[in-house]
Amino acid sequence: MVSMKRMAAVAAVSMIGLSACSGTDSGSPAVPGEAKGGDLLAKAPVAAAADILPGSTMEKIKQRGELIVGGSLDAPLLSQQNPTTGEVEGFDADMGKALAKYIIGEPKVKIVNSASETREALLSNGTVDVVFQTYTITPERAEQVAFAGPYYSSGLTLAVRKGTSGIAKPEDLNGKTVIAGANTPAIPAIKKLAPQAKIVTFGSDPECMQALKQERGDAYVQDETLLIANAQKDPSIQVVGQPFTTDPYGIGLKHGDDQFKKFVNDWLKKTQAAGLWQQTWKNSIGTVVQGEAPAPPQIGSVPGS
Amino acid sequence: MSAILDHLPEFWQGLIVTLQLTAASFAGAAVMGLVITAMRVSPVGVLRGIGTAYVETFQNLPLLVLLVLAVFGLPEIGIKAGLLETAIVVIALYEAAYIAEALRSGVNAVSAGQGEAARALGLTFSQSLRHVILPQALRTVIQPLGNVFIALTMNTSLAAAVGVVDLTAAANRVNLMEAQPIPIFVGAGLAYALIAACAGFVTGRLERRLVMVR
Repeated sequence: MVSMKRMAAVAAVSMIGLSACSGTDSGSPAVPGEAKGGDLLAKAPVAAAADILPGSTMEKIKQRGELIVGGSLDAPLLSQQNPTTGEVEGFDADMGKALAKYIIGEPKVKIVNSASETREALLSNGTVDVVFQTYTITPERAEQVAFAGPYYSSGLTLAVRKGTSGIAKPEDLNGKTVIAGANTPAIPAIKKLAPQAKIVTFGSDPECMQALKQERGDAYVQDETLLIANAQKDPSIQVVGQPFTTDPYGIGLKHGDDQFKKFVNDWLKKTQAAGLWQQTWKNSIGTVVQGEAPAPPQIGSVPGS
Repeated sequence: MSAILDHLPEFWQGLIVTLQLTAASFAGAAVMGLVITAMRVSPVGVLRGIGTAYVETFQNLPLLVLLVLAVFGLPEIGIKAGLLETAIVVIALYEAAYIAEALRSGVNAVSAGQGEAARALGLTFSQSLRHVILPQALRTVIQPLGNVFIALTMNTSLAAAVGVVDLTAAANRVNLMEAQPIPIFVGAGLAYALIAACAGFVTGRLERRLVMVR
């Protein structure tokens, strides 16, 4: 007979999985510390009226009174919905709000929960104005969409169950089963560095974590920031080694709208110069990564940006 | 277009997995559905109750919920199977409810006199079911069963959400590199449509051959 306790465990776990699917994590907020987005946004700049050119995308957004952002609701530290307040918090989310304030004068955003496989389509058909979603700039993608930035540079690293030996670098993954988030740059990166690895993918970060703990794979490849946040919450896993890729995140824009791209890049420069970029980093990613905010990447420094 | 042509091996591999999922889970669902139907029309009240409960349970739960529950929940109580195998079993159990309902409608379409005649000949319940009722019932539900098969084919794409690299997952992976969702997903969609069209063709042929004129 299955004990009640076990049944409860199944129910609880399935709830984790389900909430991960629906994109609203009902667990404890993964972002330690309290959100300080409020007073930061008060300091965020607003574009001069002359910058909002007539007939431009920015004018359309200003008239609408709302910036429509393609983003996530379940990415800890980057863009995650706080279950108690309903606010979306994190680095990407705050950057989106700051851009909305720059255009409209108020940080009014509507986040469209865009999946990685639909981002290009959502941008090209005008469903969203911008995408803030750990959107790595690649030359292939740059043929479909335009990228402002890069506004952040990240890297992939490895997490394993505590006590796992023999996995210290990506090459060690050959012949092993590796868990990766569906539609993340981890998949091509693993294929390149460890061609003999078997890749299993799950839709969201909580599902990947669960799969790692249930031994469906030997390692989990994901963005370093996310993995550090996970490892802090869950002592049964550990992060190994240093990031082995450089993923420059760009702000996805509609292809060919050079006017808007320049506008967004100008905003990015102002935000960085005013130290707001650094403060946004400290409020989100900086709560788990030690040390001072890194230097923001050079705008336009990556092929495709 | 080159986005698809450059990645034909990945698509092919995904298509094979989708076909495996479809064939294996349909076979499982057919067997299970037959058992459930037999229970639902049996003279034993308890069996009828179990059959009804089964159909009501599985028809009222989304397949994705069941898949996530099986893949992430069962290992917590010590039951861990491969992802493909888990998906096959879950899809089979789920679709069995729909097959059972299709079969039951077929059984209801067989006139009561057939059952009475079978009993008058001295056949037991299982004998009359096997030799008299089900052969007639099956002939009337070929088209509904074909529809269940097509729905099952489409439902296999949900397995991509729990780590099975089927056609949908393969399309997702290719799109991640090529960033051309429209041609890639249209291509994958056409492959699904082709499977459905084949199923429709086969059921149409079967129905014309086996249909009973009353």
